[in-house]
Amino acid sequence: MSALLDVRDLRVEFDTYGGTVQAVRGVSFALEGGKTLAIVGESGCGKSVTVQSIMGLIPRPPGRITGGAATLDGHDILRDQKIDGKDIRGRLVGMIFQDPMTSLNPTMTIGDQIAETLQVHRRYSRRQAFARAIELIEMTRIPEAAKRARQYPFEFSGGMLQRSMIAMSLACEPAILIADEPTTALDVTIQGQILDLMGDLQRDTGMAIVLITHDLGVVARMADDVLVMYAGQVVERGGVDDVFYRSAHPYTLGLKAAMPTNRSDAEQTLTPIDGSPPDLFAPPPGCGYFARCPHAMQACEGNPPQAFALGTGHEARCWLHHADCGQDAGAVYREHSQ
Amino acid sequence: MLRYTVKRLIQGVVTVWFIATATFFAMHAVPGDPLTSDKAVSPEIRANLEARYGLDRPLVEQYWIYLTNMASGDFGISFTQQNREVNDIIAEHFKVSATLGILAIVFAAFGGILWGAVTALYRNRAPDIVIVFLVILGISVPSFVFAAFGQLSVVKLNDWLGFTLVPVAGWGTVQHMIVPSLVLGLGTMAFLTRLMRSSMLEIVNADFVRTARAKGLPATRIFRKHQLRNAILPVITVLGPSIAAITTGGFVVELVFAIPGLGRYFVQAVQQLDYTVIMGTTVLYGAFLVFMVIAVDIVYGLVDPRVRLD
Repeated sequence: MSALLDVRDLRVEFDTYGGTVQAVRGVSFALEGGKTLAIVGESGCGKSVTVQSIMGLIPRPPGRITGGAATLDGHDILRDQKIDGKDIRGRLVGMIFQDPMTSLNPTMTIGDQIAETLQVHRRYSRRQAFARAIELIEMTRIPEAAKRARQYPFEFSGGMLQRSMIAMSLACEPAILIADEPTTALDVTIQGQILDLMGDLQRDTGMAIVLITHDLGVVARMADDVLVMYAGQVVERGGVDDVFYRSAHPYTLGLKAAMPTNRSDAEQTLTPIDGSPPDLFAPPPGCGYFARCPHAMQACEGNPPQAFALGTGHEARCWLHHADCGQDAGAVYREHSQ
Repeated sequence: MLRYTVKRLIQGVVTVWFIATATFFAMHAVPGDPLTSDKAVSPEIRANLEARYGLDRPLVEQYWIYLTNMASGDFGISFTQQNREVNDIIAEHFKVSATLGILAIVFAAFGGILWGAVTALYRNRAPDIVIVFLVILGISVPSFVFAAFGQLSVVKLNDWLGFTLVPVAGWGTVQHMIVPSLVLGLGTMAFLTRLMRSSMLEIVNADFVRTARAKGLPATRIFRKHQLRNAILPVITVLGPSIAAITTGGFVVELVFAIPGLGRYFVQAVQQLDYTVIMGTTVLYGAFLVFMVIAVDIVYGLVDPRVRLD
């Protein structure tokens, strides 16, 4: 089965006063219908830029897509200007964002903002669109939908705003929902509810979800497949079990070690990853994680690691997997996986 | 909404009373009075006149008489103009000044919003650079210079056309109103343009604009429904004070274009210490500004749903 969304070797740069930032350096992934792909990584690793550039949402200039290809349902969406942009956004792909408090227009009612999508893409009349908007609000389990539709964003709580965002993005029944850190700005109980809602809606509609997050707990709960990104590159990819239980990149291990747990016998302090991400104005010639990696070898400094296939769909960009590697990669990863 | 309006109106009346009081005492603190003139007046005649106009009474009593008269709508008789009541002067000339001022503010507001939005959308490109340069010019050059340039261009235009398309000065028809109100509104328009530009630049990259783009809306709709509506809010906030700037700035323009507005009487009255006319015009201008600001606040509540008026 060919993938719904297929991205190959995507490269994105931004011109700034300080020089050119290579924000995305060759990212590939494939998303199949009905599945959830999680993209994980720390702030600035390029996960948001990756999806926003596919959707034509990065400001150009200063942003620039310098290479790669992306096809949605078989159509080239990076090159073909006719398909790019408004025919895709809102209709084939819905998006929700990190901060629902600022992501909605403060001077329009929630209902109007949802209805707008239908008026533009489906040519609904104002009244028709508003009636459908009320149904969509009901679908996201907001009580008193008809009354709520006539209210403004400032009258909603953060969780309800994010529900409204979901209602808005799903108005045209898109094949893909891109959720860019949908729960980061919400408190934990609301996070759970929003994720449940997304999961239920996915089951009902069969849409695929691209979930961008830096919360591994969210990944474990939602994802089928995982991309771990670091410094504009995918360092590890695989099924959720592969990435969690058979982690094959030191950065993934670092992320896991930095996760808080609620086990009473665990150490009290978190284990942070020392150092900071490399300068993307001048990316390092070798492995991007070299400077912070506890297992770094001489070879890592000057040679960019290739992707080593480790199992079905599971691969990692780390020299430890090379056959000539002095260290026993298996031992390194087994030790951490305990 | 109604309660809010009534509350603001009462506050407005109190403000106007403050203005009247302050003006009254400041005016009397100026050396001399309306009876002081070049012509020598014998002490007896002067005493008679003072008694006639009540100027011999204690200041507080004069103030009280003035207030009670004002409350019943009587601003008194002019000291220096023959047989004219202040009410007549205001009735005849204020509508001219108000028409000029309102035209100017409408022009300034629409121009400011339009040019501000254009500069923001074309940030750092040719239209932006040109307009921002003109804005700096508009803010720094005083209105009498623009007034003179305006008249000069009108003369050249009529000369070139061979007939009078737009009159150079005077008042009465719509053609008379165009150039003076443009000139009067220019400074404010420049100021509003700058304000609109910065507020629009903030909005252009706002999260909710990104959401609108993610919904796949056409650019014109995003501009109209999402950017403009939100960027306009700070402009509305300063419209009240801008009306103040325009009406007080109106004197000069009225003078240059020979417009029979109230400004001339206002200035003359201060020079001649014509007590009743000073009070009448000041209280009127004060009241006009105060209630314009209230009107703007009420409009703001209609435009921005987050502003609750109660």
